[in-house]
Formats: sequence, structure tokens, C-alpha cells
Amino acid sequence: MILPVVGYAGMTHLGINSAVAAAERGARVVCYDHDAKLVASLNSRVLHVVEPDLPETLAKNSERMTFTSQPATLHDCDLVYIAVDVPTDDSGRSDLTPITEMISAVEHALNDDCVLVILSQVPPGFTRAIPRDDAQCIYQVETLVFGQAVERALNPERLIVGCSSPNTPLPPAYKSFLEAFDCPILPMRYESAELCKISINACLVASVSTANTLAEICEKVGADWSEITPALRLDRRIGRFSYLNPGLGIAGGNLERDLATIVRLASEHGTDSGVVRAWVKNSQHRRDWVLNRLHESGILSMPDACIAVLGMAYKENTASTKNSPSLALLGNLPSSLNVRAYDPVVTAIPSYHPGIQHYDSALEAVRDAGAVVIMTPWPEFRDLVPRDIADAMSGSLVIDPYALWDKEPCHAAGLTRMTLGVSYS
Amino acid sequence: MLEHGNSVETWPERVLLLGANGFIGSALVASLVKKGVNVTALTRQDADLCEDASVSFLTEMISPDDTIIMFAAITPDKGRGVDALTKNVVMMSNLAKAIETSPPAHLIYFSTDAVYPIDENPVHEGTRTDADDLYGGMHRIRELMAQASNNTDVAILRPTLIYGAADTHNSYGPNRLRRMAHQDAKITLFGEGEETRDHLYIDDAVELASRVISRRSKGSLNLATGKSVSYADLAKLIVAQFEQQPSIEGTPRQNAITHRHFDITALIKAFPDFVFTSIEDGVQKAHQQMMDSGAA
Repeated sequence: MILPVVGYAGMTHLGINSAVAAAERGARVVCYDHDAKLVASLNSRVLHVVEPDLPETLAKNSERMTFTSQPATLHDCDLVYIAVDVPTDDSGRSDLTPITEMISAVEHALNDDCVLVILSQVPPGFTRAIPRDDAQCIYQVETLVFGQAVERALNPERLIVGCSSPNTPLPPAYKSFLEAFDCPILPMRYESAELCKISINACLVASVSTANTLAEICEKVGADWSEITPALRLDRRIGRFSYLNPGLGIAGGNLERDLATIVRLASEHGTDSGVVRAWVKNSQHRRDWVLNRLHESGILSMPDACIAVLGMAYKENTASTKNSPSLALLGNLPSSLNVRAYDPVVTAIPSYHPGIQHYDSALEAVRDAGAVVIMTPWPEFRDLVPRDIADAMSGSLVIDPYALWDKEPCHAAGLTRMTLGVSYS
Repeated sequence: MLEHGNSVETWPERVLLLGANGFIGSALVASLVKKGVNVTALTRQDADLCEDASVSFLTEMISPDDTIIMFAAITPDKGRGVDALTKNVVMMSNLAKAIETSPPAHLIYFSTDAVYPIDENPVHEGTRTDADDLYGGMHRIRELMAQASNNTDVAILRPTLIYGAADTHNSYGPNRLRRMAHQDAKITLFGEGEETRDHLYIDDAVELASRVISRRSKGSLNLATGKSVSYADLAKLIVAQFEQQPSIEGTPRQNAITHRHFDITALIKAFPDFVFTSIEDGVQKAHQQMMDSGAA
């Protein structure tokens, strides 16, 4: 089957990963960005985002991919995805201007039959308001997960498609492209699809908030959340893939944006959003878990105290630090503290903390530290040996929220380990 | 959340303290004087804030570089009704009028955690204020009056139960339990003492207030340890101080069990190196002071 030519406007994290996946599925792909420097760098196969398998998949499909800063190059495309970033302010409110600007920048270059697909996340009502023939305007829900972007784009669980009416057949070129992904296609009206994306994220936050709430109780009553979760996962109503791992609050920006959108919509329409506000509150409460544990330990009041911070990205396998719990922690540590930091892709800078020093490995960072905190669950941190850590440290406190290290080797090495969801007193 | 105007400890030209005879006020005055801070300590004998004349007195007294710390109030042991509320509002109103004419650099209002509903847990600075009684409502009104000052940095401090040997109040907490143990050789609890509360030792309250003064902090902050204990456990700690241990007795429960816990993250962020006196150490210190002074 010959697939349509697919364009991606905006070489963002979403754009590049989606484009590479489309090429891997066999489509010829045109990648447009107005940033000529970025395009030149992509033409040299130098990537600006960190994702597992991305460099390899890009290299493998190079012949099918064109990178350009000229909108006119999109003229041959049967479909063009708008994949720009939607910035959010501190309250999680979206600025949709980049989407409208990108549409304006490329629409004159599109051929008469081209289908415009909005892939950037938009609130309900946005797509229908685009001044374009409904038959050639689609909203497709993106389900990008940082750190799993290529895998998710290549093998989506389903494709959620917003169109003018769910009863209208999809444009043939678009339909044939979606069918290449060999998964269920769920057409629905624009507003449903726009709210569907928000609904997915709300359900994820509900699970994480429930896990956080109960994990905190575990910490107080002597239970262990990690013993409870397998039982929950085997309950079909909850599910084996459900988000049950407690964390340090919502980060990354996307979930925060969706919660803000729900609260705004509820406020505008007079519906109840109390539970969503509670999720936000819970997230803020858990964000400071490590700070509270450090304060309890007394290390923050010790003169010349030194803490090693492992991980600064908001989650593993990404360079993004948006709403990162690690940066939030660093911002609240006493300025007199010595901080030794390491992250595989994020470099520590003085604006994170006046006493921060970057090291090139985790083992170097923990040397002579009174306490070690693992703020990002990078896979390489799992491979560290507690005995080596204990030998390098001057103290014995390890705050390991995500339980990357097993309890027994830590105890055997003389380390005191604190983990989310387990009693630490 | 607190925001510090001074990045390091910098004492103001003068601290003008209203309510210097009280348990916390007198302890703070003593501490500040010991640190060499210039303090003018006013009592009701110097200026009765219930009287209109206090407005002109304070207007003349306040200097633009002053830090004013307001403790003066009809305390709950002297009344929790409408009359006490009215007088307390008049007192704050007279201070607000003086400040309007003669604004100081910094105003610290000593409020209470009773501005929060008792069924809310854990309490933090973002918790919606919704007082359950006139006492809590009165303090919330006085907070709003303080915050209406346009040209002054305002800090609102909301302490939990503060205890210490010199406390003259007799509210249900370490002080009353200690006195019961000393005088009656018996501690009588409400129910079986299941309720949990957060108790702050007087020295910690004074040190935190001093830091707010010297850092010229503004915003609101709860003063609490973040560690709540049950009255039953508190009673056990207290009886352990005596050679001849008093008894602990429960009573038939009259009211529903309530708990209060604080999330003190904002305090940690404001003063990350602050170390609290543990309840064990605080109870022991208060007991020793009581025994040394021969009073209970």
C-alpha cells in the first residue's frame, strides 16, 4: 500500500517523534520548522530532544524524511500535522497563539486537498473555530509520554480522532495513513476528542493521587504500598498498567494544564471541580516530601552540611525540567548548603542553587555527602551498588522516593533508606 | 507563605511590642532585649487599645522604621463571647487607625490556628480560613484589618497551642495537664485523650517570631512543629516527670474526637535550618522550670 505524504509543522518533542514514527511506518515525511538552525541541525542528524530509540529510528528512515524551513515544501503533502508546543503559565493556562500562528504560516502552502490535523493539545471548542472546511480539518489526540515517545507513537493503543461529525467518513488519505498503525481508530466529534485527551490525563492523575494519598497513610501506619499495589493491579477494574506508583507530585506541565482546563471549564459552566482541586492540592503536598524528610533528619541545620542530588529532569529519559520536583527541592534548600548534583542529561547551574556543583557521575556526586536524594528515577541509578554509595558518603541517609534500591542491601551497607509509601519513623 | 524582605538577619531600628504582659509577649521582649534589640514594650497600662485615646498615643509613638508586633488581646480565658470579640476588634481598629496615619515599616500580627476549621487536616497556609467560633472569627477579622495596611509589610503568624512554665492560661494542653499532675496528682482527660494536637514550646515560638522580625518577613505562616500527639500520650510524658507518678484518668466522652495536624512545609521553606524542641524535651523543660520556681 502506498501511504500518503505526511507533513509535520513544528519540530517539537511531539513533532519529531511523531514524524519519525510515521516514516518508520512507511510514509514519506516532510518536517517543517521556521527555525532554520534547528532544521540544519536535524539535517545533520543532530537531535535536540532525548528519547530512547529516536536517533536509531531517525537514522534508519532518513531517506523518507525531508527537513525544511520553507513552508512551500509542504505543498505535496496529503496531510499536515500541526505539532507545535503550547506554552502554559504558572497556573497551567495554555497560550494557544503558537498554533494559530503555525496554521497561518503554513496554510497558504497546502494544496487544495490537503487535510490539516491539529496534533497539539487544544481545549474544547478550538478546532471547530478554525476557519477551514470541516472535511479537511481534524483534531487528533496525541498521547506522547516523555521517555517513551517513539514507542508510543509507533504502537499507539488507539487513535482518537476529532472530526466535525463522527458519522462523516474520514478523508481517504488520512484514513489510509491511520490504518498503517494497525490499531483501533475512534472517530468522535471535535469537542469529544478535545475533552477525551483531558479525560485521559484526569484519570491518570486520579490514580496517582489515590496512590499518593494511600502511600502517605502507609508511611504512618506501618504498611508498605509496594505490597498493596500488586493486589490492585490484579483487580480487572483497576488494571495492571494503572498509575499506582506514588510520586513527588505532578510535573512536566501537561497534566497541570489539563487540570487547570477542567477547573476553568467547570467555573465557566457552573459544574463541580472540587475533586480536581483536591488532586492539585495533593500534588503540591507531595512535591515537598523530600524537603520534609531532610528537615526531619536535621541535616539542614548542620553547619557545612553536604547533600548529593541525583537527577534533575522532571522524569527519567527526558531533559525536560518543567515543574521538576528536583528543581523545586533545590530552590528550597538553605543557600549555605553544599549540593553535589548529577543528572545524565541535565547540567546543574547556579540558578538551581547557589551552592550547587555538577559532577559527571552519580558516584562522584555522592562522595562525602551527608545525605543522598534520588530525585529522578533514571534507569542508571538502579544499577548503583548501595555498598559503593555507603563507602563514598560521609553520612548514611538515602532518600530514595521511587525505591530504586532494595531495602536489604541498603541496610546491609549501613544506609538509612526512606521511600514513598513505607514507614520511615 | 512568607517572603523575606531581608536576606540575612537585620534588626529594625526598634521593635514596638503591644501586649508585653502576656505569656508570649513577655517572653519575646526578654529574648529581644537579651539580643540587644531596641524594644519598646507596651502594656495596657501604657496604652489601653480599647480606648479612643490610644489612637493618638500610638500615632505619635510610631516611627517609619518600626516593626510593630501585636499581641494585645482579650484572651480566651478572659472571654470567648460577643463582648470579647467586640473589644478585640476595637483594639485592632485603634491600632489600624494609628498605622493609617503613621505607617511603620513592618507589622506582625499574632493570630491563632483557630482561624481554620477543626475538621481540616493537615492545616497549611493555603487552607481556607473558616473559623468555627467567635474567637477564631475575631482573629480572622483582626488579620484582615492588619492586612489592610497599604504602606507596611504585614506578617500574620498563626500559632498552634503554645506551652511553657510561665503560661498563665489554663487551656486544655500541656500547661493544664502539668498543673493537674502537680496539684491533684491526677490528670483527667476528655474521653481517653484520643485527640491529637500540635504543641509548640514557648522558646520556639519566640525564636520564630524573632526571625520574622529580623528577616522583615511578610505573608502568613503557621507556627507549629508538624508533629501532633494525643492527649493520652502527652499525659504519659507529663506524669513521667514526677518521681511519684500521678494517675491518668479518662472521663465519659462529651464531644466527638477531633484531630489537628499541620503541614509545616512553608515554615521549613522560610527557615530551613530551624530546629524544633521535641515535645519530650519541651515538657521536661517546662516541668523543671515549674519545679524550680515552686509554682504550678
